[in-house]
Amino acid sequence: MAIWDRLLFSFSRRAEKGLRQFELPSSLETAKSDEPVSLAHIMEQFEDCIDVFQRSIPSAGIDIVYIPHLIDPMRFTKEIVDPLSKAQDAQDVRDVLAQSNFWHASDSKKVVKGILSGKAAIFHEGNVYLVIVYGPKSRGVEQSETESVITGPHDSFTESANTNLSLVRRRVKSSHLKVVKLEVGEITKTIVYVLYIKDIVNMELVDEFVRRITNIEIDAVYDGNMFTQYIDDFPNSLFPQFLITERPDTAVSKLVSGRILAIVDGSPTVVSGPTGFFDFFSSADDYYQRWSIGTATRVLRFIAFVITISFTAIYVAVTTYHYEMIPEALILTLRESRSKVPFPPVIEAMLMEVTIELLREAGARLPTKIGQTIGIVGGIVIGQAAVQAGLTSNILIIAVASSAISSFVIPSYVMSASIRLIRFGLIVLAGIWGNFGLMLGIGFIVVHLCGLTSLGTSYLSPFAPTKWSDWKDVFIRGPFSILTSRPNQVRTNNEEKAKMRK
Amino acid sequence: MFKTQYRCLLIGLLAVLTGCGSDQRILEKIGLTHTTCFDLMPEGKLRVTNSIPLSTGEGRRPREVLTTISDSSKGAKVDLSRQTQLTLVSGQMRNILFGWTLAERGFWDDIDTLVRDPSVSPRVKVTVVNGEAHSLIIRNYSNYLRTAKYIDHLLESEIKIQTIPKVTLYDFTRDYYDDGIDPVAPIINELTDHVKVDGIALFQDDRLRMKVDVNESVYFAMMRDDFKMASLPIVLSGEKEKKELVLFDSLINKRRIRVARAGSHSFRVDIQLKVSGVILEYMGDLKISKEEDKHKLEEKIAAKITQHAEAILKRMQQKNVDSLGLGNVVKSSVPYKEWKNMNWREVYPDIEIHCATQVKIKHYGKQK
Repeated sequence: MAIWDRLLFSFSRRAEKGLRQFELPSSLETAKSDEPVSLAHIMEQFEDCIDVFQRSIPSAGIDIVYIPHLIDPMRFTKEIVDPLSKAQDAQDVRDVLAQSNFWHASDSKKVVKGILSGKAAIFHEGNVYLVIVYGPKSRGVEQSETESVITGPHDSFTESANTNLSLVRRRVKSSHLKVVKLEVGEITKTIVYVLYIKDIVNMELVDEFVRRITNIEIDAVYDGNMFTQYIDDFPNSLFPQFLITERPDTAVSKLVSGRILAIVDGSPTVVSGPTGFFDFFSSADDYYQRWSIGTATRVLRFIAFVITISFTAIYVAVTTYHYEMIPEALILTLRESRSKVPFPPVIEAMLMEVTIELLREAGARLPTKIGQTIGIVGGIVIGQAAVQAGLTSNILIIAVASSAISSFVIPSYVMSASIRLIRFGLIVLAGIWGNFGLMLGIGFIVVHLCGLTSLGTSYLSPFAPTKWSDWKDVFIRGPFSILTSRPNQVRTNNEEKAKMRK
Repeated sequence: MFKTQYRCLLIGLLAVLTGCGSDQRILEKIGLTHTTCFDLMPEGKLRVTNSIPLSTGEGRRPREVLTTISDSSKGAKVDLSRQTQLTLVSGQMRNILFGWTLAERGFWDDIDTLVRDPSVSPRVKVTVVNGEAHSLIIRNYSNYLRTAKYIDHLLESEIKIQTIPKVTLYDFTRDYYDDGIDPVAPIINELTDHVKVDGIALFQDDRLRMKVDVNESVYFAMMRDDFKMASLPIVLSGEKEKKELVLFDSLINKRRIRVARAGSHSFRVDIQLKVSGVILEYMGDLKISKEEDKHKLEEKIAAKITQHAEAILKRMQQKNVDSLGLGNVVKSSVPYKEWKNMNWREVYPDIEIHCATQVKIKHYGKQK
């Protein structure tokens, strides 16, 4: 009993009833400790860390502790070393240290953490001051490889959360864009910025989002994709419940439509939610093309989805059970191409599907130069040799290839991976029960999708619950003149676009 | 509550569905019967011939023809499947051919078993062979790879240009069970190196009673239904060397039937045909470019059509076959009780049927 429940319905990590009032964590630092803040004590903590440097300026009577590869050397010299070494007497030193960029710290834990996050600790007369001189080398802003567009901006997020934040800020010049800083991971202490636009977003959702993040209990977070799995409503479901993007323009469009962003430090992917199933089928390109063209490509993607999910499964069902369904003109060709194959269709189809997946996986892991070889070898082996050897029929090759190609049409890689996996289940069902099995499988998927939620909002929105006014941006990409409302799913109080309530 | 129901449903499905595993019909392991022929043998037995197309890889033969003689069509199936390595199925059947003698005796029993077989599509064609169906199907017509497919395509193309009606298993069964209409079926015939459409067979119930010649089948089609896209060559007058010919093409026909009472148990049926079309070819003295000559020609054609139609109607009444469904028209014009008490078969031969035709020549030649 419990097993069925768990299989069908209990994927959910449901929201606790009665949301807490949203409180911004005022400081991430933990409670004050009684340990003395002395240079010796701090250095003792950094024992065996050869990358922690201690530098003395005897003329000013100060010691500076910092990690060289976390700081910007230019800034370090300009802001700390120069003014302090120029100081004539103790009063000068005190004046310099009284400047606002020198923070007085009285807690040793704070100091240790500061040093670890790219600050320099200045020890002077028993006092400790922290200066932000953070500036490690990071990758420049480059073009996105997983979400490339033809028209539109080409920049993408990088691994540095600050850069990512700046990419968003550059696009949203509004004080309504609020940023909350949170910390995830016991050891890595990864910084997560939660972004939302006040007066557009529903604060209850922000509340829930922050609550989930603060409840994460893990040692380490490395990536946005990993991070989402900790805040998913249904962690065991195949479908991603948060949209992940590398594109600042997409991220900003999510913000503006009333969604929440999470920028995870160290990851070029940004998480946005709440998300519906159909959001995974729209690409930034849709909005940069004229609406008719955008609509056509979007419809094409839905067709691709249907092909991916069902093409091979239909082939299996039809050749195993429903010979009546095959058109007369096709039946003899199909028969002839099947006649040399020693396996039943379901085995034949699984064989080819697995081969395609192998090729895809190999192509993704290998360097580009070898990856091309894989493509050629795969093309010849699958397209030509397998048919000639009588392992598969060439019509199946067409079915498998077209469904594989279709799966890559779906803009979100995470979603297309889910769909490719689901396909295998449908092929097996089609092999066991024919069309009935196929329908059973699709029925199960629909039931499951209906039950899914993203941040507590319906995953199939605006399809179920039906919200007709949102359909103009789901199955089609309506002209901008009619795309004037924000999606119903985000439950915003500010539905009209271009009308900010002051 | 909801979850419990789901669980029961799933377990129930698993229990029920596990029984279906042996239902597999893997494409290359089945013999797809394309055409089945039924012939009556002298002792009242049935000769069943199945034509099964093979893909060119198998045995280098384009098709396999299996024959057996048995008491019933279902019994024949068992015997036929003994003759082949494939599992015989009938889900891709396209055509059923009946031999002439069997058609005259009546073949409802054989059709009935096919109608009751869920795998046989109701869109399977029913055709009568003028002669033996068996000998027609076993022959290889040198121009065509697969005889059965050739016949099927031949019928399809003829149906498209209205020389024969489209008669499927569904149509035949419907007309058979309907008490105001009798079924029809196309007739094909075997020539030296071809198969030819040979007219329309008119049935009384399931027994073939009358044949409409292929030249007259367009007239029959006009009375039977509205249609588009037919062509009709008419010889208006054929005196010695002065022949008057017309080829009337792209016909659009509208048919109207009116019923009036003529006496207590008799009716008068008026069939009104409105035919419009294009003159493709005309040989004669009239100048069609002149308006009055055009009307004259229209009248001549109309008279010819009426003459042919009435001839067919007369023969149908003589043979007592109501293939046009006049019974249905009468049925809808009289109270149901009266229809129920009436024996249409007795009334039908004596009713008055008149045919009136209106012809309109839209234009002549390819241009106006």
